Amino acid sequence: MDDHQTQDLVKELVHRLISAESGGGGRDAGGALRFAHRLLSSRLAPAVLPDEHALAESVKRRLAASGRPDDALAFADLHAKLSARSRPASLWPLLYLLDSLSSHRRAAAAASCLPNLPTAAPPRAAGSGAAAAAAAAGGKPASRAPGAPPGGVVLVSKDPDNIREIALREYTELVLDETEVSEAALVRDVLYACQGIDGRYVRFDKGSDAYDLPDGVRVPRSTRTLVRKLCELGWLFRKVRGFISDNISRSLSDAATEVGTVAQAFCSALQEELSDYYKLLAVLESYSLNPIPTPGSDSGVSGNYLSLRRLAVWLAEPAVRMRLMAVLVDGCRGLRGGAMAGAIHGHAQHGDPTFQDFMGRLLRRVCSPLFEMVRSWVLEGELEDVFAEFFIVGQPVKAESLWQEGYLLQSDMLPAFISPVLAQRILRTGKSINFLKVCCDDNGWADAATEAAVCVGTTTSRGGLGYGQIDALEALVVEAAKRIDRHLMDVIHKRYRFKDHCLAIKRYLLLGQGDFVQYLMDVVGPELSEPANRISSFHLAGLLETAIRASNAQYDDRDILDRIKVKMMDHGDGDRGWDVFSLEYDARVPLDTVFTASVMKRYLKIFNFLWKLKRVDHSLTGIWKTMKPNCIVSSPFYKEGTNIRSQFVSVLRKCQVLFNEMNHFVTNFQYYIMFEVLEVSWARFSEEMDSAKDLDDLLLAHDKYLTSIVEKSLLGERSHGILRNLFALFDIILQFRSHADRWFERIYELQLRGKGKPKSKAKAKSKEVDSWVDGGRKAMIQLAGELFRKMGEDLDSIAKDYTSSLDAFIAQLPMQQHVDLKFLLFRLDFTEYYSRVSSNK
Amino acid sequence: MPREIITIQVGQCGNQIGMEFWKQLCLEHGIGKDGLLEDFATQGGDRKDVFFYQADDQHYIPRALLVDLEPRVINGIQNSEYRNLYNHENIFVAEHGGGAGNNWASGYHQGEQVVDDIMDMIDREADGSDSLEGFVLCHSIAGGTGSGMGSYLLETLNDRYSKKLVQTYSVFPNQMETSDVVVQPYNSLLTLKRLTLNADCVVVLDNTALNRIAVERLHLANPTFAQTNSLVSTVMSASTTTLRYPGYMNNDLVGLLASLIPTPRCHFLMTGYTPLTVERQVNMIRKTTVLDVMRRLLQTKNIMVSSYARNKEASQAKYISILNIIQGEVDPTQVHESLQRIRERKLVNFIEWGPASIQVALSRKSPYVQTTHRVSGLMLANHTSIRHLFSKCLGQYEKLRKKQAFLDNYRKFPMFEDNDLSEFDESREIIESLVDEYKACESPDYIKWGMEDAGEANVAAALDSKSYKNATLIA
Repeated sequence: MDDHQTQDLVKELVHRLISAESGGGGRDAGGALRFAHRLLSSRLAPAVLPDEHALAESVKRRLAASGRPDDALAFADLHAKLSARSRPASLWPLLYLLDSLSSHRRAAAAASCLPNLPTAAPPRAAGSGAAAAAAAAGGKPASRAPGAPPGGVVLVSKDPDNIREIALREYTELVLDETEVSEAALVRDVLYACQGIDGRYVRFDKGSDAYDLPDGVRVPRSTRTLVRKLCELGWLFRKVRGFISDNISRSLSDAATEVGTVAQAFCSALQEELSDYYKLLAVLESYSLNPIPTPGSDSGVSGNYLSLRRLAVWLAEPAVRMRLMAVLVDGCRGLRGGAMAGAIHGHAQHGDPTFQDFMGRLLRRVCSPLFEMVRSWVLEGELEDVFAEFFIVGQPVKAESLWQEGYLLQSDMLPAFISPVLAQRILRTGKSINFLKVCCDDNGWADAATEAAVCVGTTTSRGGLGYGQIDALEALVVEAAKRIDRHLMDVIHKRYRFKDHCLAIKRYLLLGQGDFVQYLMDVVGPELSEPANRISSFHLAGLLETAIRASNAQYDDRDILDRIKVKMMDHGDGDRGWDVFSLEYDARVPLDTVFTASVMKRYLKIFNFLWKLKRVDHSLTGIWKTMKPNCIVSSPFYKEGTNIRSQFVSVLRKCQVLFNEMNHFVTNFQYYIMFEVLEVSWARFSEEMDSAKDLDDLLLAHDKYLTSIVEKSLLGERSHGILRNLFALFDIILQFRSHADRWFERIYELQLRGKGKPKSKAKAKSKEVDSWVDGGRKAMIQLAGELFRKMGEDLDSIAKDYTSSLDAFIAQLPMQQHVDLKFLLFRLDFTEYYSRVSSNK
Repeated sequence: MPREIITIQVGQCGNQIGMEFWKQLCLEHGIGKDGLLEDFATQGGDRKDVFFYQADDQHYIPRALLVDLEPRVINGIQNSEYRNLYNHENIFVAEHGGGAGNNWASGYHQGEQVVDDIMDMIDREADGSDSLEGFVLCHSIAGGTGSGMGSYLLETLNDRYSKKLVQTYSVFPNQMETSDVVVQPYNSLLTLKRLTLNADCVVVLDNTALNRIAVERLHLANPTFAQTNSLVSTVMSASTTTLRYPGYMNNDLVGLLASLIPTPRCHFLMTGYTPLTVERQVNMIRKTTVLDVMRRLLQTKNIMVSSYARNKEASQAKYISILNIIQGEVDPTQVHESLQRIRERKLVNFIEWGPASIQVALSRKSPYVQTTHRVSGLMLANHTSIRHLFSKCLGQYEKLRKKQAFLDNYRKFPMFEDNDLSEFDESREIIESLVDEYKACESPDYIKWGMEDAGEANVAAALDSKSYKNATLIA
C-alpha cells in the first residue's frame, strides 16, 4: 500500500472511472480515492476458500448452463493455458475478480430492472461521494451498468464483507467485555499447569483433584471448558511425575531395597519420555510470548502465537502419551519386578503403531533388568534379585530339598510375555545349575552354559537381551536347559550312579537279591521273634553285615553296601521284632533329592510288606521241610494198626492239602509281585529313566514307579480292606506253621518211642513179644491217636479260617477298581479251582 | 552263606553225567578246567559257592564225590583235562576195582561195606559247608553200582542227614531196545523202592526219551552216550540256575521243591527242555519267545520221559505242578501273556483237588556261554503219567520174576540169602502203591483216597521191614 507506484495507479484508476462516469469532478475524485484506499488496505478477505479449481468449475458450469457451451470450452482452454504459465497462487484472485465482476454485472442488470432499488439506499451515504467509491469497491461492473443510479454507493456500504468486519469488531468488544483475563495469560497458565505448576489463574484444586479456573475469574464458558480440558494434561503429568519422584526419592533413601530395578528402569524410561515433553513445553512457552492477534486486527502477522485452541492442537498428542503413562503408573502402583513388567506388557497389546512403538520403547527399558536376571539365572544360576522382583524366588533349605523346595515360581511375578512353560524351563535350568553347585559339587555346568550361550549366539555378557526378543530368550533358555540338563543327567547317572542305586534299592529294599534276603531271614529270624523292645538294633546291624558277607551282596560296591542300614520302627508293647524290623537305604546328597524322606517311607512300607510275604513263604517252606517226603513216607505209623494208620494218613493228607493251598497262594502272590509288580514297574521305570531329559522327568518317573508298586502291592490308601484280609491270611499261615511245628515235634517224639520196639526186636532177633515194649507201644499208639485227633481238629479249624479268609480275599479282588488285579486273580485261580469250588457252593 | 549242595555221583552212568554237569557248570561260571577263575569272569552275578567251594589257592573245587566200584570212568576223568578240578580226596574207587557186575545186590552189599569211607567224605564235605541244603545223587537205576550202591547211600543219607534234602538225577534205562543188562528190571525195581522212600525228589531222566530226542529233535542217527549225556547235563544245569543266579524267588532247593511236590510220595519229576541243540547246530539262530518256549515245553516230544508214558491214558493224566525255568532276556510282561494263552487253549490239565498253576521262574543266562537262542526253557513237572513208567518197570519185573530168571546172582548176597526174596515183593508193593497214589491224584477225590484202603497194610508191612533196617543202622 505504501508503494508509490501502486498509489499512482489507483489514483489513475479512480480518475478514469469517475471521469468515464460523470465526465469529471475533482471533488468527487478525492473522496473516491480515499474510499478506494480504505478498501484496498482492508484485510478483509472474502469468506470463500481460495479454491481455484472449484471456481473454474463453477464458471464452466455456469457458462454451460446458460447455453454457451462454446464459451465454456474456450474458458476451459484459456484457463488451462493460463494456469500452465503462471504461478497458481496468483491465478485465483484474478479468476475470482473476473467472476465477481461478471456476476455483479448480471446483478446490476437485474437491479436496473427493479424500480425500488434506489430507495433502498441509505440516505446518509448519499453525499459522501460514495458513488465513486462504490464504483471502485464494487469493481468495474458499475461502469458497465449504464443505467445505474448514484445510489450505488449505498450498495457498497451494504457489502457483506463490511458487515462481517463490523460484526467481528463488535464481537471482540463483546468478548473483551466478558473476559477479565487475557487469552495470553490463560495460555501461559495452562502451560504452567502442564508442568504441574499453579498459574496465576489456573490452579490445582485439591477438592476436585483437577486444575481449574477459580469460579471468580470471569471467562466465557467455552474458554473455561477448553482450559479445563487442556489442564487434564497437567493432572496426568502431576501423576506421572509424582510416581517417578516417589520412586526416586525412595531409592535414594535408606529404604532403597524397596524399589526394584524394574521400577527404577520404568522410572528412568518415564523420565526420558518426560524430557521430550519438557522440550515441547519449552517451545510452546516461547511461542506463547508472541501476542495473540485479536480478530480483525491486521498487525502481528507472526504465525507462531499460541491461542488456547492452538495449544489444544499442540497438546493433543502429548496428552495421549501422558494419559498412557498415567495409566501405566496407575497400573504399576504397588507392583514390582516381573509383575510390573507384566502389567506394562498388558497395556502394550494395541493396534496403533505409534502406541506400540512407545510401549516397545518403554518395555525394552523396563524389561532389561528382568531379562538380565533370567540370563544370569539360566547361565550362571545366580539369583541376582535384591529387590525380590524376579519370578523365581529362592528359599534357604537343606540340600536334600533344594530341588523340590529351594526355588519356586512366583506366578504373580511372571509377566505375561513369558509363557508358563518357558518359565518352568527357566526355573528348572537355574535350579539344575544350583543343584549341581550345591548338591553335586560340580563345575562342569559352566562349560555347558558357555556352550549354550555360544550356540545361541548371545554373548554371556549382560544386557544382551531385551523385550521383544522373546524368541531369542526362549532359544537361549532352551539351549541352556538342554545342555545343562544333559550335564546334570550325566552327573547324576555317571558320577552318582543313579541307576545303580535304584537297582541296589530294588535288590535290597525290594528283596530282589534273593540269596541275601534268604540268609538275612535265616540269621535275624530267631532274633525277631523276641519282643521288640528287647532287640538291639546294633546286634541286628551285625547280622545284616553277616548276611551281606555271606551272600552275593558281598560283591556289590562297598559304597552301596554301606548305605544299607537296619532300621527299627517305633514299636508298641506287644510288638515282636518282626513287626518293627526293616531295612533302610541311605541315599545321601544329591540322590536324596529323589529318595527323600517321604519316598523312603514308602519304600519302607513296601519293604515291610515284602518282608512279611517272604517270612510267610519262609515258614511255609519250613512246614514242608518238617514233613518232607523222606521223613513222612518212612514214618512208622504206616506199620501200625489200620485205625491209627488211617488216622495218620488222614491228618497228614489234610496237612499236605492245606499246605498245598497255602503254598499255592503265597507262591503265586510272590510271582505276581515279582512279574506283575516289581519287574514290570522296573522295566517301565528303567525305560523312562533312560529317556529322562531332566531331573524333573526323573523324579516323575521314579514317583510313578514307586506309586505303581505301592498301588499294585495293595498298599495304597484304597486297598486297606483287602490288605487287612491278606494279613489275616498271612497270620493264619503263620499260625499253621507254629501248629505244624508242634505236631511234628510230637510225631517225631512218638516215632522215636515207637522205634524202641523194632530196635530191641532186631537186637534180640526173636519173635517174642516183650511186654514192656508192647506196653510202650500201646501207650504210644494211644498218645498218637489223641494227637492225631487233636491235630485233625486244629487242622479243620485252621483250614476253615483259611478258606473263609481266602474266599473273602478272592471275592474282594475284582472289586479293587483302582488297580488292575486281574493278573493276581488269574494266577491264583489258574486252574479255576476256586471258581469251581465257589460255584459248587 | 550259600545253601550248599553236595553232589554224589555213583557208578559209570552217574560219573559220566556228573562230569558233563560239572563241565557245564564250569563253563557257565567262567571257571577254567583247572578250577581257576577265567580272566573274563567276574564276581557278583552268580553264586558259585552253592556247588563249588574255594580252596586256599583260589581254586574252585566242586562239592562233589566221585564214587564207583570200577575204575574205568573215574580214571577217564582223572586223565582228562578236568583232572585238577576235583578234590582227589573225594574220589572213591573200590580197591578191587571189579565193579558190581550190573547186580544191584552186589552194589548194595559193597556199599554196605565201604559206607564208612564214603560217609567220612560226605561228613567232611558237610562240615565244610555253612548251611548245607542237601545232596544230589547222580546215578542210573539199571546198572549195579549206581543202583545198588546208590540205594544204600540213599538209605544212609536219609538216616544220617534226615533234615537235609536228597535229590536224585536218576537215569532210567532204555526200555525200547534190548539191553545188555538182562537183570535191568530187577535192579530198577529195587532202586525205585529207595527212590520212593528215601529221596525227596527224583528227577527222572529216561534214556528212552533221551535217545528219541537225540534222534528226532537233534537228528542224530546214532546218538552216543556223550550226546545224550550232554542233554542230561543241560537239564541238570538248567534246573539249578535259580540256585546259582539269585533272583527274587526260588533261590533255594527247598523252595523249589516245596511247590513242586505237595504230596510227599509223588516226588518224581519229569523234565522238558527247549530249544535243544548240539554243538554242530550253533550257526542256526532261532527266534524264540517266551510263549514259544512255554508251549513247546508242554509238548510231549520235548519231554525227557518216554512218550508212551505220556500218551497212555493221556486224557486222565494231570499235572500236579509245573515249574518253568526260563533263561535269557525275557520281558516279564510276556510271561503273563503266555500263561494266558496256555490257559485259553487249555494246553494243560491240572489236578482238581487243589489249586495249581504253571510257575515261571526267570533266570539269568550265563554271560560266558554263547547260545543261539534268546530264550530257552526248562520244565520241571510233576505229572501223574509218570506212573506208566513205573508200571512198565513193574511189568518187566513181573515177566522176569515169573520165570525166576537170573535170581541166583542175587541170592549170593546177604539180603537175599536163604532164598529170601521178600525184598522184591516189598519193592513191588511199594511201587504199586506209588502208581496207585499217582492214579489217585488224577481224581478230584484224592483227599479221601487211601484212608480206609486195606491194601495199604501191605505197604505198611514193607515199611516195617525198612525201618528195621534203619534201626539196624542206628544200632
